[in-house]
Amino acid sequence: MAPLSYREKTLYASLLAELVIYGPYFFLHRQNSVNKVAGMIAGIIILQILLQTALAILTRNRVIDERDRLIELRGYRAGYLTIATLMVIGLGLLWLHAAAGRLPVENRMMGLHFLSVFFGMLVIADITKTVTQIVSYRKAL
Amino acid sequence: MPIRNQIRELRAAREMTQQELADQVGVTRQTIIAMEQDKYSPSLETAFKVALALGVTIDRCFQFDPRARR
Repeated sequence: MAPLSYREKTLYASLLAELVIYGPYFFLHRQNSVNKVAGMIAGIIILQILLQTALAILTRNRVIDERDRLIELRGYRAGYLTIATLMVIGLGLLWLHAAAGRLPVENRMMGLHFLSVFFGMLVIADITKTVTQIVSYRKAL
Repeated sequence: MPIRNQIRELRAAREMTQQELADQVGVTRQTIIAMEQDKYSPSLETAFKVALALGVTIDRCFQFDPRARR
């Protein structure tokens, strides 16, 4: 197995930060206030800055080349396709529920549910992007 | 990959390490490894730089094999 390049190390750090921050929020069902969403966003930014700064300090050779850029594009394409698919499914389900009159718009938690669902889509797309890039590196491209 | 190369052989003949070649070409060592394993076809510009760093012409370093599977 080839040693990890600087870009690859930053991807593993990103994935770690995403799982550490998003994991408890989405998988332990803690999404019950807007403050928690804001806290999660602040948390991921701070953790990413700390991890990426530590990597930049510890890595001597920080070259980024054409293969890195190609893999980055491949990751963004996978992330875009994921979020586009999830949006179509999400909006389709919303339309179906609205058409059937089962959308409790008077519920005061509705806004928070929408925020969680759309933020969840963004998180899934982001993780897909990072994992696609890591897999591309491991397969050489 | 339809592009084959002799980077490993040419580099070994010059007693050059992967890192030395990567530094001369301006790519990461991982990219040199991927090229040597025929898992990555470089851009024309990088292919010329690799040939230049190894002191050979580009056709001595890279060959196109249309029968090879991508």
